[in-house]
Amino acid sequence: MSNDANSDISAVITLADHEQYFMEKAFFYARQALDKQEVPVGCIFVYENNILAVGRNEVNKTKNATRHAEMICIDEILKHCKENDLDFKKMISFVDVYVTVEPCIMCAAALFNLNIRSITFGCRNDRFGGSTVYDVSKVIKPTTVVKGGYRACEAMELLKDFYKGQNPNAPLPKVRIKKS
Amino acid sequence: MSSAKRVKLDVPEQEEQPFIPILANELLEDTPLTKVFVGKIQDSKSISEVIKSLNLLLPIPSLAHLKRINKQEVLLVSTSDLAKDKIYEYLETNGFNINLLYTDFREVEVAKIAPKTRLQYEKVQKLWPCNFHPDKYLEKLVTNTLFNSLEINVHKTYMSMAILVATEAKKLHITEYDSGVVVVDPKVNSVVALGYSESHHNPCKHPSMVAIDNVAKTQSGGAWKSYEPIPDSSNLNLNGCHPKLFKILLKKFPHINFGASKFQIDHEQKEPSDPYLCTGYYIYLTREPCIMCAMALIHSRVKRVFYGKSSDNGGLGTLYKIHVIKDLNHHYEVFRTLCENKCELVNEL
Ligand SMILES: [Zn+2]
Ligand SMILES: [Zn+2]
Repeated sequence: MSNDANSDISAVITLADHEQYFMEKAFFYARQALDKQEVPVGCIFVYENNILAVGRNEVNKTKNATRHAEMICIDEILKHCKENDLDFKKMISFVDVYVTVEPCIMCAAALFNLNIRSITFGCRNDRFGGSTVYDVSKVIKPTTVVKGGYRACEAMELLKDFYKGQNPNAPLPKVRIKKS
Repeated sequence: MSSAKRVKLDVPEQEEQPFIPILANELLEDTPLTKVFVGKIQDSKSISEVIKSLNLLLPIPSLAHLKRINKQEVLLVSTSDLAKDKIYEYLETNGFNINLLYTDFREVEVAKIAPKTRLQYEKVQKLWPCNFHPDKYLEKLVTNTLFNSLEINVHKTYMSMAILVATEAKKLHITEYDSGVVVVDPKVNSVVALGYSESHHNPCKHPSMVAIDNVAKTQSGGAWKSYEPIPDSSNLNLNGCHPKLFKILLKKFPHINFGASKFQIDHEQKEPSDPYLCTGYYIYLTREPCIMCAMALIHSRVKRVFYGKSSDNGGLGTLYKIHVIKDLNHHYEVFRTLCENKCELVNEL
């Protein structure tokens, strides 16, 4: 067991039915990203059991390397709050994030700074992961609870498919998922 | 023969660099050390025989950066591989002519890995002779002698522009905070995009994030529409510059070019030299970017980052050095304290 009560990202996890449903949605958007030749990462922001935002990577579409699924969802929630005259800061701190791949260092920092309630992810992100490559929680002391390892192989397969199609010479991302 | 003093003209004076590079710890710290046993060769005529024999019987691949011989002493084995009282026996049973060495062995500290910089080399060289292949560029970087006075002036100019962006953006109510960013394409020596905080609209719209999106606008992209771009009037694209700021900057910096190289929308015609994200670009910021922004600049493949004042939540020197994380697939160089005092004043306005 991890001695850090706030995060358990090494194990393969099982989720409650409603959480599985949200992850399935996230996978739907990850596959959609793959169809659009974007890095296949899908993300869902949930507030009081309602899906408030959906996102997938849009880096190629926007020519902006920061347009990750999580960042797009943050913008969505912000828009929702503006349109409905809601307190964004308060609302976002009750949001649970479901994302197919561990958020990168940038997204982890963004989500932690917003005091997102929880992050549930599929596979680890060996290239940019906000805990695997560099543990952002060491410097941003988040209140966010992070857990990962749900349908990790499937999430990783999607990434592999993308990098295969992208550049036949590119090395495949290393698979580093702990087996239960 | 003329008695006039010869004036040296060809040696340029080393310019004082107005910034310091933020380097990986492995370049700043002393080379890690490890312990080895060494023996003394009885007759200096047998040195080559000893080396040959030892390289065969006791090779030390992990210490290949070390010379085997130091005067009349020879490196035998790592202390972790063989106990001191077992060395004699080991050599003898493996057919080494033990008479070539004195029988008492000595423990010494040596460089565990090859030194990376000359400074590191000079320290470990005193312990035990060591191979060193200086990397000319790296030496300039670590000794902070990378730029000549002309280049330094260019950096100062772009930073003073970033400071002006900070103050003017606030006056124009584009931002509520005092920070400015200028993105430059050094290949064409032109300002590609500007940045400032828009976090009063969106908590993720930090100056770097805004600048990155403004660069995307010069490549027919961009996610955040916050101004009507200036129509192209030349062969450079001005979409990355807020028109109101552009007008002011143009007046204050009449000798500076503005605009990004034309971006080919048609992928078939794409040249390798066409802009891609922020590849090859320099970015000048009045404030150190936070962790999120530092990583955003990695994703965007920026080449160099210059910033003025450190930030409490900074990711390029203060909390961490995101740009030197080994596992990342891209790295940029970072220089801090460029026009620090002026940047500090901006923050107090
Ligand atoms: Zn991300
Ligand atoms: Zn930032």
